[in-house]
Amino acid sequence: MGLVESERSEPRNTSATSPVATTDVGRRPSAEAVAPMPRPPRDPVVSVRSLTKRYGEVVAVDDVTFSLDAGTVTGFLGPNGAGKTTTLLLLLGLAEPTGGDALVFGRRYRELDDPARRVGAVLESNDFHPGRSARNHLHTLALAAEIPSSRVDEVLALVELEAAADRRVKGYSLGMRQRLGLAAALLGDPELLFLDEPANGLDPAGVHWLRTFVGGFAEQGGTVLVSSHLLAEVAQTVDQILVIDHGRLVATARLDELTQRGRTLEDVYLELTGGPS
Amino acid sequence: MRAQLRAELLKQRSTTTSRGLLAGALGLVLFAVLLHGLGLPAEALGGTSEQLMVLGRGEFLGAMFAALLGAISITGEVRHGTIRPTFLVTPRRGRVVAAKVWASALVGGGLGLAASVLAAGAGTAALRVRGIDVQLDGGDYALLLAGGAAAAALWAAIGVGLGAVVRDQVPTVVGICAWLLFVEGLLVGDVADVSEVGRFAPGALGEAISGQDPAALLAPALAASLLALYAIAAAVAGTLATTRRDVV
Repeated sequence: MGLVESERSEPRNTSATSPVATTDVGRRPSAEAVAPMPRPPRDPVVSVRSLTKRYGEVVAVDDVTFSLDAGTVTGFLGPNGAGKTTTLLLLLGLAEPTGGDALVFGRRYRELDDPARRVGAVLESNDFHPGRSARNHLHTLALAAEIPSSRVDEVLALVELEAAADRRVKGYSLGMRQRLGLAAALLGDPELLFLDEPANGLDPAGVHWLRTFVGGFAEQGGTVLVSSHLLAEVAQTVDQILVIDHGRLVATARLDELTQRGRTLEDVYLELTGGPS
Repeated sequence: MRAQLRAELLKQRSTTTSRGLLAGALGLVLFAVLLHGLGLPAEALGGTSEQLMVLGRGEFLGAMFAALLGAISITGEVRHGTIRPTFLVTPRRGRVVAAKVWASALVGGGLGLAASVLAAGAGTAALRVRGIDVQLDGGDYALLLAGGAAAAALWAAIGVGLGAVVRDQVPTVVGICAWLLFVEGLLVGDVADVSEVGRFAPGALGEAISGQDPAALLAPALAASLLALYAIAAAVAGTLATTRRDVV
């Protein structure tokens, strides 16, 4: 789907605001251009306010505030241990904040009525039982979420794992595990996706597929927060970025604003996180 | 909760863990019953109480392996990280723990019944082979089997609660085995002073449910009620521990 890439090359925003420290970034202009009628203003899909998480003396997430609108793809960048995964765990209700709020669709994740149908997540930890087949892994989740079993076959086809679906996960390559994780995230046909290093271990065709998928997902109004170290890939995929370092949000900006004046995303990233310049 | 229960039952069916535990339990039951039934001198096997003790190895090992099955249903998820997708789909974690309690009690109860049937069959055969009169009547056999199933179901629930509190697989498994194989043996049997207390210990209650050692242990119905209290306490503790802590 070349549509996604061709859109990315178009200039998005001509405003002269500072590239850094924009708190609320607007939804994709292309999405609005495509929509035949103006959409009513909606609450942000993800709303993080003064979010803090301490583990003993360690402050993993430190007073982080951002929000994400529907139809946006946001890159979540930062060095290892910067607090990306912790922020995702807090948003997903797997960890409790020490302070502040992490809301999805205006509520804490644990208060959502039917979370699997609203939010999908691929976590970096690759959470499968090695002795269980991919199909059974998805069936256990589908049963608990009361999703029809035909949907298991659909997502297996979507990530092209049908042929290996009845094999135990222990024989899977890293890329196959990533695709199974994505299949699990998509099981409930959610509106919001959290992807933690989803391109890890994917082959070039898989990376291309993922990029196309994410673009199409946002095109249909879906919202994506994707953490990644692959800056060149991020630059092709996202509308806006959040940069986190030592638990603090150091930049929130539209991609095209950040990379004005011929700077690459890598230049900006290294400058913000104190890496080699 | 029915959805979560069905998911938990599929989890138990879809790996080799449950089948491995069943095979382990049955293998050990056969070994223990034949060792006692064929190895002990005939005069040590003549009485009802001694015969119940031999055939009761089915209950004892069934309960222990059911407890391991219950514990692994949650520590296995922690170990492999599947607890994360489980809680993402069902963020109300109390429901997950409750579903694990019921699923493990169901599967564990079946395991306990199978172990008790095998012990009763193999034990009786061993006695007959040696020409020893079988002193047990239909009521004794019924209690061995029903009690074996009930004790294992309740122990499976205890295992889930323990696993939810401890979370680490190895200490949970070692703890359950050490308690039932060594600690309780000392409490109930060899140390006379503590046996008054020892018969209220959960392993001894399981043996009492299946009618073993009626002179020293509690009556089956009372023992079943008390072991059910242990199971409820463990499930509540497991639920509280699970809902209050982060998943990391």
